[in-house]
Amino acid sequence: MPYDLGMNILLVEDDSQTASFIRKGLQESGYMVEHTADGLEGLNLALEGQYDALIVDRMLPGLDGLALIQTLRRRRQSVPVLILSALGEVDNRVEGLRAGGDDYLVKPYAFSELLARLQALTRRVQPAQEQTLLRIADLEMDLMKRQVRRADQPILLQPREFKLLEYLMHNAGQVVTRTMLLEKVWDYHFDPQTNVIDVHISRLRSKIDRDFHPPLLHTVRGAGYMLHDTSPA
Amino acid sequence: MIRHLLNTTVFRLSLVYALLFSLIAAMAMVSIYWVAESHITRQVDTRLQLEADVFLSRIRAQGPEFLLQRIDSLSRNGDEFSVHVLNHRNFADLLKLFRPEYTTTNGHALFATHPMKDILNYSPTARDDEPARMLLYLLPDSGYQLLVATDMSEQKALLDKMYRSTLMAMAVIIALALFGGGLMGYNVLRRIDSISRTADTIISGDLSQRMHVTWRNDEFDRLSIVVNNMLQRIEQLMIAMRGVTDNLAHDLRNPLNRLRNRLESVRFLNPQSGDYQQANEDAIQDVDELIKTFNALLSIAQAESRVQRKDWSRVDLTTLVNDLGELYSAVTEDKDQQLDCHTETGLVLTANRQLLAQAITNLLDNAVKYTPGGGLIRLEARRDDSSLLVRVSDTGIGIPADKHEHVFERFVRLDNARSSPGNGLGLSLVKAVVDMHGGRITLGDNAPGLVVSLHFPLPTAGLASLPGSDHP
Repeated sequence: MPYDLGMNILLVEDDSQTASFIRKGLQESGYMVEHTADGLEGLNLALEGQYDALIVDRMLPGLDGLALIQTLRRRRQSVPVLILSALGEVDNRVEGLRAGGDDYLVKPYAFSELLARLQALTRRVQPAQEQTLLRIADLEMDLMKRQVRRADQPILLQPREFKLLEYLMHNAGQVVTRTMLLEKVWDYHFDPQTNVIDVHISRLRSKIDRDFHPPLLHTVRGAGYMLHDTSPA
Repeated sequence: MIRHLLNTTVFRLSLVYALLFSLIAAMAMVSIYWVAESHITRQVDTRLQLEADVFLSRIRAQGPEFLLQRIDSLSRNGDEFSVHVLNHRNFADLLKLFRPEYTTTNGHALFATHPMKDILNYSPTARDDEPARMLLYLLPDSGYQLLVATDMSEQKALLDKMYRSTLMAMAVIIALALFGGGLMGYNVLRRIDSISRTADTIISGDLSQRMHVTWRNDEFDRLSIVVNNMLQRIEQLMIAMRGVTDNLAHDLRNPLNRLRNRLESVRFLNPQSGDYQQANEDAIQDVDELIKTFNALLSIAQAESRVQRKDWSRVDLTTLVNDLGELYSAVTEDKDQQLDCHTETGLVLTANRQLLAQAITNLLDNAVKYTPGGGLIRLEARRDDSSLLVRVSDTGIGIPADKHEHVFERFVRLDNARSSPGNGLGLSLVKAVVDMHGGRITLGDNAPGLVVSLHFPLPTAGLASLPGSDHP
């Protein structure tokens, strides 16, 4: 199942066009979306309602986006929050994450990027993260022993390849974008001209997919990559 | 101007100092006056005593009656002393009249200053209204008193002169203090007025104005120099910002126009057709390119503004360069190029990690882009005599020496690069980032190919090693 269906999202965004675009896109992807343009109202909704994730614009009427998140965190609400912002410099990002945001997306962004990050966030609250043994189809990853096996054959990975695969496995069944990989695996918050990620993915693919069937690491056109077991269960 | 002057701190300070100084001077002069006066009085008293002694020795020899007859002729010094014999029966009354300041010779000699006529029943001379210094000697066993008096007018004139010159001195001191304070205040005011006038010109929009700096090298000059440096920086930033705006307008207009044309042409296409889909994809790609250019310009602006010190930290250059080498090794392998990465261990500098990484990434992007298959790309990080050196060299098409300065300008793309993708901002960003870190960038010929060297200043001694690396 590629998407977590039936999830309830609160969108706090004052630009009505952006909001209706996001809402439409998320609904088509199977999310339920509640929207408000006002920061204070957004806070009240977030405190009352049961949401699986929040998408919060940084600059809002009523209550600033960061203040909203800080208040939320002070009230011990741990709902994942994705911050949208036109402020994209590194320390703006750091501010956002320090205020309690879980991820930070700078405008302008591709919708696929927003969707991928939202999925990664909603996925994170599930306990799968605590596991030390990750598995998809016949691909196994032991985080303690730092070993990878497919069909019981050991696969040797470079440290960075291991990290890359680990991130993909944590988000198995979901699209991860190139930008997400650069941020989470390499910690670079910029896009190089060369498609370095593509090359690393194809290297990883040759190690985990070339000699095995079915292929697990898929390219999602116009979005990114997905580790996904397509064989019928 | 006068009101302004009275309002200056310097003038007020000098006024306060003038008052304080006058007070101290007055106290000093009063004490000098007092010491002088008592000294003169003592001298006079001694001479009175000596004079009296002459008479006393006669009295001892001939009895006091002799005085009553012969007294005038016995006064030796003519006008200086006048000697009188008194015969007060009521001694207490006399004392009340005389009010001695002090006594000597077992209480027989009493000293005081009075006009003569207060003591005598008659007026021997015209000057008796003037206070005179007198010695009253109680002649033992006779009921007579010897009064020796001397005129104090000369001493008084001296003291008066002293008193007047004291007053004069005080007046001069106060006048000088006021004048000096006024002069200093005026000077300060003139300097400040000059600064305010310049500032007003700058406020009204002329950023090229600078504060006047004199030869004095005083605090105003130092302040002016600092302000001038600040203005210089502001002007540079303004010019840079204007440059960015101009270039933005120039460079974004073309792709925006292209995008608009494309979207307009889409209107005539059948939404079901493949052309429609293709136009849509192309439009999105156009936008992505625009965003890339935009982001690159923002990064350059951020680096050039040099104000975002918040996200600076100590960066392990060795690890950063190794990571980037590893990131690009896959790419070079893919393109059949060879990437050699050489790093010295323990290279650390204070930097903006993201911008630094982006700068080195841009160099690697260029190297990969312009080096043919089979070529060699070398990435090095090491410490040389005076700097931390990051060097990317390739065996690609290189840059002609006469274009070396040119390529750091924004949107500059050399003819042989126009066909490959890029926005002409890569090296501009590298330069801005290196400048931001106080380093310098040099281009060289690798024959064939390009060598780009980034020289970063060596960190100060305290920062030279990684945290904890020198603790067991």
